[in-house]
Amino acid sequence: MSALTFAGVRKTFGTNVALHGFDLNLQQGELVTLLGPSGCGKTTALRVAAGFERADSGAILIEGSDISKMPPHKRNMGMVFQSYSLFPNLTVAGNVEYGLRTRRIAKPERDRRVAEVLELVQLTALGARYAHQLSGGQQQRVALARALAVRPSVLLLDEPLSALDAKVRTTLRDEIRRIQTEVGITTLFVTHDQEEALAISDRICVMSQGQIEQIGSPTEVYRKPATAFVARFVGTMNELPGVVSGASEVTVMDNRLSTPAAKGLAKGSSVKLLVRPEDLTIDANGMPGSVTSVTFQGASTLVGVRLDVIDRLVSIDVGQGVADSLTIGDRIGVGVNGSHAVCEPEE
Amino acid sequence: MAKISGRVKAYLGRIGPTLVLLAAAVFFIAPILSTARAAFHKVPTILLNRHTWFQKWSLEGLRRAFKEEYFWTTLSLSLKLAVITVLITMLLLVPTALFVHLKLPRARALVEFLTVLPYVVPPIALVAGVAAFFRPNARWFLNSDFALAPFYVVMAMPFTYRAIDAGIKAIDVRTLVDASRSLGGSWFTTLRKALLPNMASSLLSSAFLTATIVLGEFTIANSLAKNTFATFSFEYFSRDAQGGVGLALLTLVATTALLGMMTLLTRTKSRKAATMTRF
Repeated sequence: MSALTFAGVRKTFGTNVALHGFDLNLQQGELVTLLGPSGCGKTTALRVAAGFERADSGAILIEGSDISKMPPHKRNMGMVFQSYSLFPNLTVAGNVEYGLRTRRIAKPERDRRVAEVLELVQLTALGARYAHQLSGGQQQRVALARALAVRPSVLLLDEPLSALDAKVRTTLRDEIRRIQTEVGITTLFVTHDQEEALAISDRICVMSQGQIEQIGSPTEVYRKPATAFVARFVGTMNELPGVVSGASEVTVMDNRLSTPAAKGLAKGSSVKLLVRPEDLTIDANGMPGSVTSVTFQGASTLVGVRLDVIDRLVSIDVGQGVADSLTIGDRIGVGVNGSHAVCEPEE
Repeated sequence: MAKISGRVKAYLGRIGPTLVLLAAAVFFIAPILSTARAAFHKVPTILLNRHTWFQKWSLEGLRRAFKEEYFWTTLSLSLKLAVITVLITMLLLVPTALFVHLKLPRARALVEFLTVLPYVVPPIALVAGVAAFFRPNARWFLNSDFALAPFYVVMAMPFTYRAIDAGIKAIDVRTLVDASRSLGGSWFTTLRKALLPNMASSLLSSAFLTATIVLGEFTIANSLAKNTFATFSFEYFSRDAQGGVGLALLTLVATTALLGMMTLLTRTKSRKAATMTRF
């Protein structure tokens, strides 16, 4: 049985449809990320699950029980917010204890649980501090501890890392994953950051305009995007104009490329071939072009190339050894590996 | 020539703010000093010189006022009215302001407009209108001394609502409410444990402002024939000018002390909040 189920949830704000028949199942202990651009409905879905918004139709189920009409304070869900949501008048320990007090849990048990979760988030020494005496990362760890202390049936994380700087964000991201795995709690994570989603999730649900575009593992979403929207939104994509020239074949600038994505498309139809930078190679026999940029990115280097015939800029992900020999203005050829490409029919 | 005018400009630029401050100080302090002299100095102005200036200062006028039968009863009524008015204000305006922020953000401008209406309605018009309605329908209401409290709530509203509104804006009220609710807090628990403690400074400001208005209000109390501290002071002035002026000064000192306390308390809170930006 699913730990959390969205069953045909529809939510509108005036004439704007925020969720359009939203269906999603979260299995016990799973971390699912809702990923999408601003306004796609991901936060609305989370708020409907938490009970802060009432769905127009559809249902929210926890282990099969319909909780759609239950008020937020009775749903037993833990939530961490984008902005630091600690109560400024309470200490760290007081914040963590808050949910336990509202549940009228006895003092010895409260103390035990507070100590337990503060140890889990490695903040045992800061129990007596107030929110204004903590860094942003520490505040979000306290918020996480506070949400976990009540032993919720589902943990809801609403862009908890977006207010943090890059380094803290990565550390806390890994920390959230460690804690989630350790506790084994079903978690719904909302973000617009694809890198964060790819790093932390068991499954990713990519959303657009209140609808689900694709649900899958991070690898599936990245390597086998179901739609052109997913392909463009998750990771970087190069767009190459081409013509379907066979059952699984597209011709781009006189180069015949084998690609399963062309299956089912009419021969002779115009398409956009979407290819990731790592699926482009430097190949002397490929499409000719000139190097316009060489951008060092740590583990890899992105080479910008302007293709001659179609006058289009593409990015190629190359190893450091290859990049060292390139300078701006060099003439090179670009090869395409079409096995993971996506074909989008031209309108 | 240009060099000289530049120097004059620079000099004026330096002393200008000090001159303005001095002028403002004279404007505000001179009447208070004159009041103090009228209340506690028994030397007529015509006899004032450097010898008599420090002679014959006395608190006798105030002592006489304190011995008046109605001094304590009217002061007690005004203090009770202040407490009742503060309570009604809090019970009415805090939930209203929170509701508007959380559920009806579009109505904020309308509510703000409504709360400033008492500015444009003169107290005498207010009391005449209310009395005309209540006299035939609920005379018992107007007969009670505490009938003044609702008037004072309305009169204080432009100040109190703003103070409460500023307090709500200073905290991320929606997130705090959501956080509390997600942790199992009912609306009442959320209000009591998550919101009110974090709005303490604005609630204090609001309470002090209300108390200050109640202690000094004369028009409505006089129109409804109520014996409040303000009406007593006015009546006593006609019998004992020096004692009456002493009472007026005492009221001024008391309300200034209240405002001073408010500033001190709210500044402490603000400093605490400001440290948040250091991280």
